[in-house]
Amino acid sequence: MLSCSSVFQRVAFMLMAPKLKPQRLHQKTGAEQLVKKARTMTAESSMKDAFSTYADYLNNFNEKRERVVKASRDITMNSKKVIFQVHRLSKDNKEEVLEKAGKDLEAVRDQHFARLMRELQGTDFWKLRRAYSPGVQEYVEAATFYKFCLSGTLCTLDDINATLVPLSDPSLEPLQINILDYILGLADLTGELMRMAIGRISDGEIEFAQRICQFVRQIHRELMLVVPKMDDSYDMKSKMEVMLQSVIKIENACFSVHVRGSEYIPLLGDDAPTSYLLGAADVE
Amino acid sequence: MMSSAFRNAHLTASRLINPKPFSSSSILHFLPLCSGDASPRRSNPLRHRNSVSPSSSFPFCSISSFCIPMAGGDGQGSHSLEKQFDSFRVQLEESAALREQIRAVVMEIESATRLIQANLLLVHQSRPIPEVIEKSKEKINDLKKFYGRLAEILRECPGQYYRYHGDWRSETQAVVSQLAFMHWLETGTLLVHTEAEEKLGLNSLEFGLETEDYLTGICFMSNDLPRYVVNRVTAGDYDCPRKVMNFLTDLHAAFRMLNLRNDFLRKKFDSMKYDLRRVEEVYYDVKIRGLISGGDIPGVQVTQGQS
Repeated sequence: MLSCSSVFQRVAFMLMAPKLKPQRLHQKTGAEQLVKKARTMTAESSMKDAFSTYADYLNNFNEKRERVVKASRDITMNSKKVIFQVHRLSKDNKEEVLEKAGKDLEAVRDQHFARLMRELQGTDFWKLRRAYSPGVQEYVEAATFYKFCLSGTLCTLDDINATLVPLSDPSLEPLQINILDYILGLADLTGELMRMAIGRISDGEIEFAQRICQFVRQIHRELMLVVPKMDDSYDMKSKMEVMLQSVIKIENACFSVHVRGSEYIPLLGDDAPTSYLLGAADVE
Repeated sequence: MMSSAFRNAHLTASRLINPKPFSSSSILHFLPLCSGDASPRRSNPLRHRNSVSPSSSFPFCSISSFCIPMAGGDGQGSHSLEKQFDSFRVQLEESAALREQIRAVVMEIESATRLIQANLLLVHQSRPIPEVIEKSKEKINDLKKFYGRLAEILRECPGQYYRYHGDWRSETQAVVSQLAFMHWLETGTLLVHTEAEEKLGLNSLEFGLETEDYLTGICFMSNDLPRYVVNRVTAGDYDCPRKVMNFLTDLHAAFRMLNLRNDFLRKKFDSMKYDLRRVEEVYYDVKIRGLISGGDIPGVQVTQGQS
Protein backbone atom coordinates (compact mmCIF):
# COMPACT_ATOMS: atom_id res chain seq x y z
CA MET A 1 0.00 0.00 0.00
CA LEU A 2 2.87 2.29 0.62
CA SER A 3 4.32 1.88 -2.86
CA CYS A 4 0.87 2.54 -4.27
CA SER A 5 0.60 5.88 -2.64
CA SER A 6 4.09 6.85 -3.72
CA VAL A 7 3.06 6.26 -7.31
CA PHE A 8 0.01 8.35 -6.64
CA GLN A 9 2.20 11.03 -5.19
CA ARG A 10 4.43 11.07 -8.22
CA VAL A 11 1.45 11.42 -10.50
CA ALA A 12 -0.10 14.11 -8.37
CA PHE A 13 3.17 15.95 -8.30
CA MET A 14 3.42 15.92 -12.07
CA LEU A 15 -0.09 17.22 -12.37
CA MET A 16 0.17 19.89 -9.73
CA ALA A 17 3.69 21.24 -10.17
CA PRO A 18 3.60 24.86 -11.41
CA LYS A 19 6.41 24.31 -13.83
CA LEU A 20 7.68 21.10 -15.15
CA LYS A 21 11.38 21.10 -15.43
CA PRO A 22 12.54 18.57 -17.93
CA GLN A 23 14.27 16.21 -15.61
CA ARG A 24 14.99 12.60 -15.85
CA LEU A 25 12.76 10.99 -13.34
CA HIS A 26 14.91 8.75 -11.31
CA GLN A 27 12.97 5.55 -11.69
CA LYS A 28 13.80 3.32 -8.81
CA THR A 29 13.12 -0.33 -9.31
CA GLY A 30 10.62 -1.97 -7.01
CA ALA A 31 13.40 -3.97 -5.37
CA GLU A 32 15.49 -0.90 -4.68
CA GLN A 33 12.51 0.78 -3.16
CA LEU A 34 11.83 -2.16 -0.86
CA VAL A 35 15.43 -2.27 0.27
CA LYS A 36 15.37 1.40 0.98
CA LYS A 37 12.10 1.01 2.87
CA ALA A 38 13.53 -1.82 4.94
CA ARG A 39 16.62 0.18 5.77
CA THR A 40 14.56 3.14 6.86
CA MET A 41 12.35 0.99 8.99
CA THR A 42 15.32 -0.70 10.62
CA ALA A 43 16.95 2.63 11.29
CA GLU A 44 13.71 3.95 12.70
CA SER A 45 13.00 0.91 14.83
CA SER A 46 16.52 0.70 16.16
CA MET A 47 16.17 4.34 17.13
CA LYS A 48 12.91 3.50 18.85
CA ASP A 49 14.51 0.55 20.63
CA ALA A 50 17.32 2.70 21.90
CA PHE A 51 14.92 5.36 23.05
CA SER A 52 12.71 2.91 24.84
CA THR A 53 15.67 2.02 27.05
CA TYR A 54 16.28 5.71 27.66
CA ALA A 55 12.60 6.14 28.50
CA ASP A 56 12.78 3.31 31.04
CA TYR A 57 15.90 4.73 32.58
CA LEU A 58 14.42 8.21 32.92
CA ASN A 59 11.10 6.91 34.26
CA ASN A 60 12.78 4.83 36.93
CA PHE A 61 15.16 7.54 37.90
CA ASN A 62 12.53 10.24 38.12
CA GLU A 63 10.31 8.00 40.23
CA LYS A 64 13.20 7.38 42.55
CA ARG A 65 13.88 11.08 42.76
CA GLU A 66 10.25 11.67 43.74
CA ARG A 67 10.49 9.07 46.51
CA VAL A 68 13.65 10.72 47.79
CA VAL A 69 12.02 14.15 47.77
CA LYS A 70 9.06 12.80 49.71
CA ALA A 71 11.30 11.18 52.30
CA SER A 72 13.28 14.40 52.54
CA ARG A 73 10.13 16.43 53.14
CA ASP A 74 9.06 14.09 55.90
CA ILE A 75 12.46 14.40 57.51
CA THR A 76 12.24 18.18 57.29
CA MET A 77 8.78 18.34 58.85
CA ASN A 78 9.54 16.03 61.70
CA SER A 79 12.92 17.58 62.43
CA LYS A 80 11.23 20.95 62.67
CA LYS A 81 8.90 19.46 65.27
CA VAL A 82 11.90 18.36 67.30
CA ILE A 83 13.28 21.88 67.14
CA PHE A 84 10.02 23.37 68.34
CA GLN A 85 9.89 20.79 71.11
CA VAL A 86 13.35 21.74 72.33
CA HIS A 87 12.32 25.39 72.27
CA ARG A 88 9.68 24.58 74.89
CA LEU A 89 12.49 24.11 77.35
CA SER A 90 12.39 26.09 80.54
CA LYS A 91 14.03 25.75 83.90
CA ASP A 92 11.23 23.58 85.24
CA ASN A 93 10.67 21.05 82.53
CA LYS A 94 14.03 20.50 81.00
CA GLU A 95 14.18 16.76 81.44
CA GLU A 96 10.77 15.93 80.10
CA VAL A 97 11.14 18.24 77.15
CA LEU A 98 14.51 16.85 76.17
CA GLU A 99 13.40 13.29 76.70
CA LYS A 100 10.53 13.73 74.30
CA ALA A 101 12.78 15.55 71.84
CA GLY A 102 15.26 12.69 71.94
CA LYS A 103 12.53 10.17 71.26
CA ASP A 104 11.16 12.23 68.40
CA LEU A 105 14.60 12.53 66.88
CA GLU A 106 14.98 8.79 67.09
CA ALA A 107 11.65 8.36 65.35
CA VAL A 108 12.85 10.57 62.50
CA ARG A 109 15.83 8.28 62.13
CA ASP A 110 13.92 5.04 62.32
CA GLN A 111 10.99 5.96 60.14
CA HIS A 112 12.21 8.42 57.56
CA PHE A 113 15.96 8.09 57.27
CA ALA A 114 15.56 4.41 56.67
CA ARG A 115 13.46 5.18 53.59
CA LEU A 116 16.07 7.57 52.31
CA MET A 117 18.80 5.05 52.83
CA ARG A 118 17.10 2.46 50.69
CA GLU A 119 16.96 4.81 47.73
CA LEU A 120 20.40 6.29 47.96
CA GLN A 121 22.58 3.34 47.22
CA GLY A 122 25.68 3.77 45.12
CA THR A 123 26.09 6.78 42.91
CA ASP A 124 22.65 8.11 43.80
CA PHE A 125 24.09 9.48 47.03
CA TRP A 126 25.67 12.37 45.16
CA LYS A 127 23.45 12.27 42.12
CA LEU A 128 20.30 12.95 44.12
CA ARG A 129 21.86 15.21 46.71
CA ARG A 130 19.76 18.24 45.74
CA ALA A 131 16.65 16.16 46.32
CA TYR A 132 17.38 15.19 49.92
CA SER A 133 19.77 17.89 51.10
CA PRO A 134 17.11 20.16 52.66
CA GLY A 135 15.80 17.29 54.80
CA VAL A 136 19.24 16.29 55.94
CA GLN A 137 20.17 19.86 56.77
CA GLU A 138 17.05 20.23 58.90
CA TYR A 139 17.86 16.98 60.66
CA VAL A 140 21.40 18.12 61.40
CA GLU A 141 19.97 21.35 62.79
CA ALA A 142 17.58 19.45 65.04
CA ALA A 143 20.16 16.92 66.22
CA THR A 144 22.81 19.51 67.03
CA PHE A 145 20.25 21.77 68.74
CA TYR A 146 19.05 18.91 70.89
CA LYS A 147 22.57 17.79 71.73
CA PHE A 148 23.63 21.25 72.76
CA CYS A 149 20.70 21.73 75.07
CA LEU A 150 21.33 18.31 76.52
CA SER A 151 25.07 18.46 77.08
CA GLY A 152 26.41 21.82 76.00
CA THR A 153 28.57 20.24 73.32
CA LEU A 154 28.52 20.09 69.57
CA CYS A 155 27.26 16.93 67.96
CA THR A 156 30.00 16.25 65.44
CA LEU A 157 29.46 14.82 61.98
CA ASP A 158 30.98 11.55 63.09
CA ASP A 159 28.59 11.43 66.05
CA ILE A 160 25.58 11.95 63.82
CA ASN A 161 26.73 9.42 61.28
CA ALA A 162 27.36 6.87 63.98
CA THR A 163 23.70 7.09 64.97
CA LEU A 164 22.68 6.39 61.39
CA VAL A 165 24.79 3.30 60.86
CA PRO A 166 22.66 0.88 62.89
CA LEU A 167 19.59 1.85 60.89
CA SER A 168 20.63 0.24 57.70
CA ASP A 169 20.53 -3.32 56.60
CA PRO A 170 24.01 -4.75 56.80
CA SER A 171 23.75 -5.47 53.09
CA LEU A 172 23.12 -1.84 52.28
CA GLU A 173 25.57 1.02 52.40
CA PRO A 174 24.80 3.05 55.50
CA LEU A 175 23.63 6.55 54.80
CA GLN A 176 26.32 8.93 55.85
CA ILE A 177 25.68 12.63 55.89
CA ASN A 178 28.30 14.49 53.92
CA ILE A 179 30.33 17.47 55.06
CA LEU A 180 28.45 19.99 52.97
CA ASP A 181 25.02 19.15 54.32
CA TYR A 182 26.37 19.03 57.85
CA ILE A 183 27.89 22.47 57.58
CA LEU A 184 24.75 23.90 56.02
CA GLY A 185 22.70 22.43 58.86
CA LEU A 186 25.11 23.85 61.41
CA ALA A 187 24.63 27.31 59.95
CA ASP A 188 20.90 27.07 60.59
CA LEU A 189 21.53 25.81 64.13
CA THR A 190 22.95 29.17 65.14
CA GLY A 191 19.66 30.84 64.29
CA GLU A 192 17.74 28.51 66.58
CA LEU A 193 20.31 28.97 69.32
CA MET A 194 19.91 32.71 69.00
CA ARG A 195 16.18 32.37 69.54
CA MET A 196 16.78 30.15 72.50
CA ALA A 197 19.31 32.53 74.00
CA ILE A 198 16.93 35.46 73.81
CA GLY A 199 14.18 33.31 75.25
CA ARG A 200 16.35 32.09 78.11
CA ILE A 201 17.36 35.59 79.02
CA SER A 202 13.71 36.52 79.34
CA ASP A 203 13.32 33.54 81.61
CA GLY A 204 16.22 34.69 83.71
CA GLU A 205 18.67 32.00 82.67
CA ILE A 206 21.59 34.19 81.90
CA GLU A 207 24.32 31.57 82.07
CA PHE A 208 22.70 29.44 79.49
CA ALA A 209 22.47 32.46 77.20
CA GLN A 210 26.13 33.20 77.77
CA ARG A 211 27.10 29.65 77.01
CA ILE A 212 25.13 29.83 73.83
CA CYS A 213 26.94 33.06 73.01
CA GLN A 214 30.32 31.41 73.45
CA PHE A 215 29.30 28.38 71.48
CA VAL A 216 27.89 30.28 68.56
CA ARG A 217 30.94 32.52 68.43
CA GLN A 218 33.16 29.48 68.26
CA ILE A 219 31.15 27.89 65.48
CA HIS A 220 31.14 31.11 63.52
CA ARG A 221 34.91 31.44 63.82
CA GLU A 222 35.56 27.86 62.79
CA LEU A 223 33.19 28.00 59.86
CA MET A 224 34.76 31.17 58.52
CA LEU A 225 37.82 29.23 57.56
CA VAL A 226 35.96 26.29 56.15
CA VAL A 227 33.26 27.95 54.06
CA PRO A 228 35.34 29.38 51.18
CA LYS A 229 36.51 25.88 50.29
CA MET A 230 33.08 24.35 50.00
CA ASP A 231 31.56 23.18 46.72
CA ASP A 232 29.09 25.87 45.65
CA SER A 233 29.85 28.06 48.64
CA TYR A 234 27.37 30.68 47.50
CA ASP A 235 24.55 29.45 49.75
CA MET A 236 26.89 29.17 52.64
CA LYS A 237 28.21 32.68 52.25
CA SER A 238 24.78 34.20 52.80
CA LYS A 239 24.22 31.85 55.74
CA MET A 240 27.46 33.12 57.26
CA GLU A 241 26.15 36.67 57.15
CA VAL A 242 22.94 35.60 58.86
CA MET A 243 25.01 33.68 61.39
CA LEU A 244 27.03 36.73 62.24
CA GLN A 245 23.79 38.66 62.77
CA SER A 246 22.62 35.94 65.16
CA VAL A 247 25.87 36.13 67.10
CA ILE A 248 25.53 39.89 67.34
CA LYS A 249 21.94 39.63 68.55
CA ILE A 250 22.97 37.26 71.30
CA GLU A 251 25.89 39.48 72.22
CA ASN A 252 23.62 42.49 72.41
CA ALA A 253 21.18 40.64 74.61
CA CYS A 254 23.99 39.60 76.96
CA PHE A 255 25.18 43.18 76.95
CA SER A 256 21.74 44.42 77.96
CA VAL A 257 21.65 42.01 80.83
CA HIS A 258 25.11 42.98 81.93
CA VAL A 259 24.50 46.69 81.82
CA ARG A 260 20.98 46.86 83.15
CA GLY A 261 21.42 44.26 85.83
CA SER A 262 18.59 43.39 88.12
CA GLU A 263 16.25 46.05 86.80
CA TYR A 264 16.06 43.90 83.73
CA ILE A 265 16.17 40.43 85.14
CA PRO A 266 13.08 39.19 86.85
CA LEU A 267 13.21 38.04 90.42
CA LEU A 268 14.06 34.42 90.92
CA GLY A 269 12.73 32.02 93.47
CA ASP A 270 10.12 29.28 93.47
CA ASP A 271 7.25 31.65 93.59
CA ALA A 272 8.88 34.23 91.44
CA PRO A 273 6.69 35.89 88.92
CA THR A 274 7.60 35.05 85.40
CA SER A 275 9.12 37.75 83.32
CA TYR A 276 6.93 40.62 82.27
CA LEU A 277 8.16 39.90 78.80
CA LEU A 278 6.45 36.55 78.84
CA GLY A 279 3.27 38.13 79.98
CA ALA A 280 2.17 35.81 82.73
CA ALA A 281 2.28 37.30 86.19
CA ASP A 282 2.04 35.55 89.51
CA VAL A 283 2.30 38.62 91.61
CA GLU A 284 1.43 38.01 95.20
CA MET B 1 30.55 37.13 102.51
CA MET B 2 28.59 34.99 100.25
CA SER B 3 30.34 36.25 97.18
CA SER B 4 33.89 35.38 98.24
CA ALA B 5 32.96 31.92 99.46
CA PHE B 6 31.22 31.47 96.22
CA ARG B 7 34.24 32.61 94.30
CA ASN B 8 36.49 30.18 96.15
CA ALA B 9 34.19 27.33 95.45
CA HIS B 10 34.20 28.25 91.81
CA LEU B 11 37.98 28.44 91.53
CA THR B 12 38.44 25.05 93.13
CA ALA B 13 35.79 23.45 91.03
CA SER B 14 37.08 24.98 87.85
CA ARG B 15 40.62 23.82 88.51
CA LEU B 16 39.39 20.30 89.07
CA ILE B 17 37.45 20.14 85.87
CA ASN B 18 39.31 22.40 83.57
CA PRO B 19 43.04 21.92 84.04
CA LYS B 20 43.79 24.92 81.87
CA PRO B 21 41.43 27.57 83.12
CA PHE B 22 42.90 30.14 80.80
CA SER B 23 42.92 27.97 77.71
CA SER B 24 41.45 29.94 74.88
CA SER B 25 39.75 26.90 73.49
CA SER B 26 37.75 26.33 76.60
CA ILE B 27 34.13 26.85 76.01
CA LEU B 28 33.86 28.30 79.47
CA HIS B 29 36.40 30.99 78.93
CA PHE B 30 34.74 34.29 79.21
CA LEU B 31 35.65 37.17 77.04
CA PRO B 32 35.98 40.71 78.34
CA LEU B 33 32.29 41.31 77.81
CA CYS B 34 31.62 39.37 80.93
CA SER B 35 34.59 40.56 82.88
CA GLY B 36 33.71 40.53 86.52
CA ASP B 37 36.33 43.08 87.44
CA ALA B 38 34.15 46.03 86.72
CA SER B 39 32.28 46.76 89.86
CA PRO B 40 28.57 46.21 89.53
CA ARG B 41 26.55 49.36 89.15
CA ARG B 42 24.08 48.23 91.72
CA SER B 43 25.24 46.12 94.57
CA ASN B 44 22.22 44.02 94.98
CA PRO B 45 22.51 40.59 96.53
CA LEU B 46 20.21 39.23 93.92
CA ARG B 47 22.52 40.36 91.23
CA HIS B 48 25.26 38.02 92.38
CA ARG B 49 23.10 35.07 91.66
CA ASN B 50 22.64 36.02 88.11
CA SER B 51 25.74 38.08 87.80
CA VAL B 52 27.58 37.94 84.56
CA SER B 53 30.90 37.86 86.31
CA PRO B 54 32.92 34.71 85.75
CA SER B 55 32.63 33.74 89.35
CA SER B 56 29.02 32.76 89.15
CA SER B 57 29.09 31.48 85.64
CA PHE B 58 30.28 27.99 86.35
CA PRO B 59 27.26 25.70 86.19
CA PHE B 60 28.42 23.32 88.84
CA CYS B 61 28.28 26.08 91.34
CA SER B 62 25.33 27.76 89.82
CA ILE B 63 22.57 28.56 92.22
CA SER B 64 20.11 29.03 89.46
CA SER B 65 17.92 26.00 89.06
CA PHE B 66 18.82 25.58 85.45
CA CYS B 67 21.91 23.56 84.96
CA ILE B 68 23.61 22.26 81.90
CA PRO B 69 25.38 19.10 82.99
CA MET B 70 29.03 19.38 82.27
CA ALA B 71 30.54 16.14 81.17
CA GLY B 72 33.88 15.60 82.85
CA GLY B 73 36.01 16.59 79.92
CA ASP B 74 34.55 19.70 78.48
CA GLY B 75 38.00 20.88 77.48
CA GLN B 76 38.00 17.76 75.39
CA GLY B 77 34.53 18.63 74.09
CA SER B 78 35.69 21.79 72.44
CA HIS B 79 38.90 20.08 71.48
CA SER B 80 36.99 17.55 69.45
CA LEU B 81 35.03 20.43 67.97
CA GLU B 82 38.26 22.00 66.75
CA LYS B 83 39.53 18.71 65.50
CA GLN B 84 36.38 18.23 63.51
CA PHE B 85 36.70 21.57 61.79
CA ASP B 86 40.38 21.03 61.13
CA SER B 87 39.54 17.78 59.41
CA PHE B 88 36.78 19.54 57.46
CA ARG B 89 39.31 22.08 56.21
CA VAL B 90 41.61 19.34 55.08
CA GLN B 91 38.89 17.40 53.30
CA LEU B 92 37.48 20.45 51.58
CA GLU B 93 40.94 21.53 50.50
CA GLU B 94 41.41 18.14 48.92
CA SER B 95 38.13 18.32 47.06
CA ALA B 96 38.92 21.87 45.92
CA ALA B 97 42.27 20.67 44.59
CA LEU B 98 40.55 17.84 42.79
CA ARG B 99 38.17 20.32 41.23
CA GLU B 100 41.12 22.34 39.97
CA GLN B 101 42.51 19.28 38.26
CA ILE B 102 39.15 18.48 36.74
CA ARG B 103 38.74 22.05 35.48
CA ALA B 104 42.09 21.88 33.73
CA VAL B 105 41.17 18.72 31.83
CA VAL B 106 37.71 20.01 31.02
CA MET B 107 39.21 23.11 29.43
CA GLU B 108 41.24 20.87 27.18
CA ILE B 109 38.12 18.92 26.29
CA GLU B 110 36.44 22.17 25.42
CA SER B 111 39.19 23.33 23.09
CA ALA B 112 39.41 19.95 21.38
CA THR B 113 35.65 20.10 20.84
CA ARG B 114 35.96 23.52 19.31
CA LEU B 115 38.51 22.23 16.84
CA ILE B 116 36.20 19.40 15.86
CA GLN B 117 33.32 21.83 15.53
CA ALA B 118 35.30 24.25 13.38
CA ASN B 119 36.31 21.37 11.19
CA LEU B 120 32.79 20.04 10.83
CA LEU B 121 31.56 23.48 9.84
CA LEU B 122 33.34 22.96 6.54
CA VAL B 123 30.48 20.77 5.40
CA HIS B 124 28.41 23.92 5.16
CA GLN B 125 30.90 25.05 2.57
CA SER B 126 30.54 21.83 0.59
CA ARG B 127 33.85 20.35 1.60
CA PRO B 128 33.58 16.60 0.85
CA ILE B 129 32.31 14.71 3.84
CA PRO B 130 34.84 11.87 4.01
CA GLU B 131 37.69 14.37 4.15
CA VAL B 132 36.07 16.35 6.94
CA ILE B 133 35.26 13.25 8.93
CA GLU B 134 38.77 11.90 8.60
CA LYS B 135 40.20 15.01 10.13
CA SER B 136 37.71 15.09 12.97
CA LYS B 137 38.42 11.46 13.82
CA GLU B 138 41.96 12.43 14.73
CA LYS B 139 40.65 14.91 17.28
CA ILE B 140 38.40 12.29 18.78
CA ASN B 141 41.48 10.42 19.91
CA ASP B 142 42.46 13.49 21.87
CA LEU B 143 39.03 13.56 23.47
CA LYS B 144 39.41 9.93 24.43
CA LYS B 145 42.67 10.78 26.10
CA PHE B 146 41.14 13.65 28.07
CA TYR B 147 38.18 11.67 29.27
CA GLY B 148 40.62 8.96 30.30
CA ARG B 149 42.39 11.52 32.40
CA LEU B 150 39.12 12.56 34.03
CA ALA B 151 38.39 8.94 34.85
CA GLU B 152 41.83 8.67 36.40
CA ILE B 153 41.32 11.76 38.53
CA LEU B 154 38.01 10.45 39.80
CA ARG B 155 39.49 7.13 40.67
CA GLU B 156 40.96 8.96 43.64
CA CYS B 157 37.49 9.41 45.08
CA PRO B 158 35.26 6.54 44.04
CA GLY B 159 31.53 7.12 43.97
CA GLN B 160 31.84 10.87 43.56
CA TYR B 161 31.28 11.09 39.81
CA TYR B 162 28.09 13.02 40.41
CA ARG B 163 29.65 15.34 42.94
CA TYR B 164 31.80 16.86 40.23
CA HIS B 165 29.62 16.01 37.26
CA GLY B 166 28.48 19.61 36.82
CA ASP B 167 32.05 20.52 35.92
CA TRP B 168 32.00 18.56 32.69
CA ARG B 169 28.29 18.40 31.96
CA SER B 170 27.90 21.12 29.34
CA GLU B 171 31.22 20.33 27.66
CA THR B 172 30.16 16.70 27.32
CA GLN B 173 26.85 17.70 25.81
CA ALA B 174 28.74 19.69 23.18
CA VAL B 175 31.01 16.70 22.51
CA VAL B 176 28.04 14.38 21.98
CA SER B 177 26.42 16.87 19.64
CA GLN B 178 29.51 17.00 17.41
CA LEU B 179 30.01 13.26 17.47
CA ALA B 180 26.38 12.62 16.59
CA PHE B 181 26.51 15.07 13.69
CA MET B 182 29.65 13.40 12.40
CA HIS B 183 28.07 10.01 12.70
CA TRP B 184 25.02 11.15 10.81
CA LEU B 185 27.09 12.66 8.02
CA GLU B 186 28.93 9.39 7.72
CA THR B 187 26.09 6.90 8.04
CA GLY B 188 22.79 8.76 7.97
CA THR B 189 21.84 7.14 11.27
CA LEU B 190 21.65 8.18 14.87
CA LEU B 191 24.62 7.69 17.14
CA VAL B 192 23.16 5.81 20.11
CA HIS B 193 24.21 6.20 23.72
CA THR B 194 26.35 3.09 23.89
CA GLU B 195 28.14 3.95 20.65
CA ALA B 196 28.86 7.44 21.94
CA GLU B 197 30.30 6.00 25.13
CA GLU B 198 32.49 3.69 23.12
CA LYS B 199 33.79 6.44 20.87
CA LEU B 200 34.96 8.37 23.92
CA GLY B 201 36.44 5.34 25.59
CA LEU B 202 34.01 5.59 28.47
CA ASN B 203 32.34 2.80 30.35
CA SER B 204 29.28 3.08 32.53
CA LEU B 205 30.80 1.13 35.39
CA GLU B 206 33.61 3.51 36.07
CA PHE B 207 33.26 6.82 34.27
CA GLY B 208 30.32 6.80 31.94
CA LEU B 209 28.30 9.04 29.70
CA GLU B 210 25.30 10.31 31.59
CA THR B 211 22.11 9.50 29.66
CA GLU B 212 20.68 12.98 30.06
CA ASP B 213 23.89 14.53 28.76
CA TYR B 214 23.70 12.26 25.74
CA LEU B 215 20.07 13.20 25.06
CA THR B 216 20.80 16.91 25.43
CA GLY B 217 23.74 16.58 23.06
CA ILE B 218 21.44 14.96 20.48
CA CYS B 219 19.07 17.91 20.77
CA PHE B 220 21.98 20.27 20.13
CA MET B 221 22.81 18.30 17.02
CA SER B 222 19.27 18.66 15.76
CA ASN B 223 19.58 22.43 16.19
CA ASP B 224 22.37 22.44 13.61
CA LEU B 225 20.50 20.47 10.96
CA PRO B 226 18.28 23.22 9.50
CA ARG B 227 21.29 25.35 8.69
CA TYR B 228 23.01 22.40 7.09
CA VAL B 229 20.01 21.63 4.94
CA VAL B 230 19.70 25.22 3.74
CA ASN B 231 23.32 25.36 2.72
CA ARG B 232 23.23 22.00 0.99
CA VAL B 233 20.28 23.08 -1.10
CA THR B 234 22.05 26.28 -2.03
CA ALA B 235 24.95 24.14 -3.12
CA GLY B 236 22.67 22.09 -5.33
CA ASP B 237 22.15 18.99 -3.22
CA TYR B 238 18.39 18.64 -3.46
CA ASP B 239 18.33 15.20 -1.90
CA CYS B 240 19.47 16.40 1.44
CA PRO B 241 16.20 17.90 2.73
CA ARG B 242 14.37 14.62 2.34
CA LYS B 243 17.05 12.66 4.12
CA VAL B 244 17.26 15.12 6.97
CA MET B 245 13.52 15.37 7.26
CA ASN B 246 13.09 11.63 7.55
CA PHE B 247 15.85 11.43 10.09
CA LEU B 248 14.59 14.29 12.16
CA THR B 249 11.01 13.03 12.03
CA ASP B 250 12.11 9.67 13.37
CA LEU B 251 14.26 11.33 15.98
CA HIS B 252 11.47 13.57 17.15
CA ALA B 253 9.10 10.62 17.34
CA ALA B 254 11.63 8.67 19.36
CA PHE B 255 12.08 11.58 21.75
CA ARG B 256 8.33 11.74 22.21
CA MET B 257 8.57 8.35 23.90
CA LEU B 258 10.34 9.98 26.82
CA ASN B 259 8.63 11.40 29.89
CA LEU B 260 10.64 14.48 30.63
CA ARG B 261 10.67 16.82 33.58
CA ASN B 262 10.45 20.57 33.09
CA ASP B 263 14.20 20.92 32.96
CA PHE B 264 16.90 21.93 30.50
CA LEU B 265 16.55 18.72 28.50
CA ARG B 266 12.86 19.38 28.01
CA LYS B 267 13.54 22.90 26.75
CA LYS B 268 16.07 21.57 24.27
CA PHE B 269 13.64 18.91 23.12
CA ASP B 270 10.98 21.54 22.63
CA SER B 271 13.25 23.38 20.23
CA MET B 272 13.59 20.23 18.10
CA LYS B 273 10.12 20.62 16.64
CA TYR B 274 11.07 24.03 15.28
CA ASP B 275 14.11 22.45 13.65
CA LEU B 276 11.82 19.85 12.13
CA ARG B 277 9.43 22.49 10.85
CA ARG B 278 12.27 24.44 9.27
CA VAL B 279 13.55 21.36 7.51
CA GLU B 280 10.05 20.50 6.32
CA GLU B 281 9.72 23.98 4.90
CA VAL B 282 12.98 23.62 2.99
CA TYR B 283 11.86 20.23 1.71
CA TYR B 284 8.58 21.71 0.59
CA ASP B 285 10.32 24.59 -1.18
CA VAL B 286 12.58 22.23 -3.02
CA LYS B 287 9.87 19.79 -3.90
CA ILE B 288 7.30 22.27 -5.08
CA ARG B 289 9.78 23.68 -7.53
CA GLY B 290 10.48 20.29 -8.93
CA LEU B 291 14.07 20.33 -7.85
CA ILE B 292 13.90 16.93 -6.26
CA SER B 293 15.18 14.14 -8.47
CA GLY B 294 12.33 11.83 -7.39
CA GLY B 295 12.35 8.39 -5.81
CA ASP B 296 10.37 9.25 -2.72
CA ILE B 297 10.86 7.01 0.21
CA PRO B 298 7.56 5.61 1.51
CA GLY B 299 8.35 7.05 4.88
CA VAL B 300 7.76 10.50 3.44
CA GLN B 301 4.07 9.75 3.16
CA VAL B 302 3.75 9.55 6.91
CA THR B 303 5.32 12.91 7.51
CA GLN B 304 2.97 14.91 5.35
CA GLY B 305 0.72 17.00 7.50
CA GLN B 306 2.69 16.31 10.65
CA SER B 307 3.53 19.39 12.58
